[in-house]
Amino acid sequence: MKNIVIGQYIPGKGLFYRMDPRTKIISVITLMIAIFLLGSIPQLLVAFSVCAVMMWVGNIPVKRVIRGMKPLIILLLFTFFFQIFFNKEGKLLLDEVMHVTVVSVLGIVLWTIIWRLLARIGKFKTVLLLAYIMGIFVLFRFLPFGYSFTTFRFAIYEKGIEMSIFVIIRLVIIISLSTVLTLTTKPTDLTQGLESLMRPLKIIGIRSEDFALIISISLRYIPTILDEAFKIMAAQASRGADFAEGKLKDKVKQVISLLVPMFIIAFKRSEDLADAMESRNFVPGKPRTRIHELRFGWTDIGVGVFTLAALALTIVLKVIG
Amino acid sequence: MSYIEVKDLSFSYTGKRMILKDISLSIEKGEWVAILGHNGSGKSTLAKAMVGLLEPNQGTIAYDGVVLTNDTAYDIRKKVGIVFQNPDNQFVGVTVRDDIAFGMENLMVPQKQMLEMIDFYSEKVGMKDFLDKEPSTLSGGQKQRVAIAGILAMQTQVIIFDEATSMLDPYARRDLIEYIQKLNQEGITVIMITHDINEAMYANRLVILKDGTIFSDGDKWSLFKQPEIFENSHLELPFSLKLAAALDDSLPEEKAVKDFLWQSISNT
Ligand SMILES: Nc1ncnc2c1ncn2[C@@H]1O[C@H](COP(=O)(O)OP(=O)(O)O)[C@@H](O)[C@H]1O
Ligand SMILES: [Mg+2]
Repeated sequence: MKNIVIGQYIPGKGLFYRMDPRTKIISVITLMIAIFLLGSIPQLLVAFSVCAVMMWVGNIPVKRVIRGMKPLIILLLFTFFFQIFFNKEGKLLLDEVMHVTVVSVLGIVLWTIIWRLLARIGKFKTVLLLAYIMGIFVLFRFLPFGYSFTTFRFAIYEKGIEMSIFVIIRLVIIISLSTVLTLTTKPTDLTQGLESLMRPLKIIGIRSEDFALIISISLRYIPTILDEAFKIMAAQASRGADFAEGKLKDKVKQVISLLVPMFIIAFKRSEDLADAMESRNFVPGKPRTRIHELRFGWTDIGVGVFTLAALALTIVLKVIG
Repeated sequence: MSYIEVKDLSFSYTGKRMILKDISLSIEKGEWVAILGHNGSGKSTLAKAMVGLLEPNQGTIAYDGVVLTNDTAYDIRKKVGIVFQNPDNQFVGVTVRDDIAFGMENLMVPQKQMLEMIDFYSEKVGMKDFLDKEPSTLSGGQKQRVAIAGILAMQTQVIIFDEATSMLDPYARRDLIEYIQKLNQEGITVIMITHDINEAMYANRLVILKDGTIFSDGDKWSLFKQPEIFENSHLELPFSLKLAAALDDSLPEEKAVKDFLWQSISNT
């Protein structure tokens, strides 16, 4: 358990690694706003190509960006189908009657079982999920046999297809942008950048230094605490506990038997840490110097100008269009 | 007056049971003192009081004539640092560099100077090649050395070690003590808190703490001649010292050695 990676940061060189985290954060937010101002698929495709070129220039591994999208696939699918089902504008492209009958319901139950079994293999999960959803429509459409509970209409309109594609491209661009940020920025730099950007909030009483310190201490202790959890689990496993199997009740018991010692240790730890920090003259709220100083460079100016230009262009397009 | 003066110090966490009772202690600059005591004798409490983490109910602690109070604590902690028992619970930084910097950041040291200090002191404790490493990739002994570098970088004169080696393996322990010996030779005052007599042997002077009071305080060899002191304060003398005490400085007579050996065998 020596190498728990927090965040998505991968060490590397390139355009985005040379940038100040503040510029990166602001640029990503600005570009996201710009993306939301775009109103048509062709415009989005242009933006998408620009992003792709940027990633290519910045040496960003495309594989990692795609992997960063995986956790959001459900969200992507949901928006996709939501648009297809509920958008009823434009030309009618498809209109089918779906039958909820004894046979089709049984078929779907069977289909679900097959899907779950296949999913156990562990590969192509996304493809399987898509196939499963498609399969449900096919079954409802082509198995109108046996006692019929009810029927419903499934209609797809032109605008629905268009919007779903539009929304998906927009989401993909936005996720890629944020992935570029997290891939090329160390969590600590990210925190420090946010801290620096949030400094004006002091006026309303929010101390961004405290926030940054909390995040950086959490980042520092996550591996330690995980390590500890594994040790406790190993100790309990050696006494016969089994975290993988067992009834829900047993599992709950085991989780509690893990959490209780972890909380006790965490309290002791935080007391110790507070002592250690105070003994090294940490005073909450007192100004401190920083070992990592943020500095803007030429890259920041370049990217900043590019970002502003992109925003200006989208605003112009919005006004004309 | 000595560099460190602890006078009639008493402390209680709850207000009822006194954990420290009338502790008085004078320590000179450059000394290496071991504070030895059984578990729960109040060693950590004393250590925390000495760096101003706990406020005494009675008595004073002074460094170089300045009495430790809420107002002076900040300046006194520039002179006195403490290394705690658990290497993990005192590592504040995300990397070795950040951790060494932590104290200096609090002291508002400019960045350029911090980088120089980090270079110098990480080299000194043998951690220069690890500056970008995260604590979870370091051993306990390495983490304790980082803690020492962080304290030294604050230009500290006195370092209190509160059982700082007790969670380390025997090799890391000896290694760390060798570093501490070097520091002491360079003039750093070392206060080594321990319950392990072998470790206390590195000091010349032993302060024995028992149930919150100073049970005895003096040159280690004179104390070793009175084994009852250790017995009474629930401390186990190492075999070699028991033997030495039994022989009582005289030339080893065969009979005395034999008697002692028989006795220690029949005791176990
Ligand atoms: N935070 C605390 N609150 C109350 N009692 C404490 C606290 N810390 C320590 N004690 C008590 O003070 C006594 C001395 O503890 P300590 O100074 O840690 O001893 P040592 O370091 O010699 O083992 C123990 O009896 C302990 O139970
Ligand atoms: Mg202790």
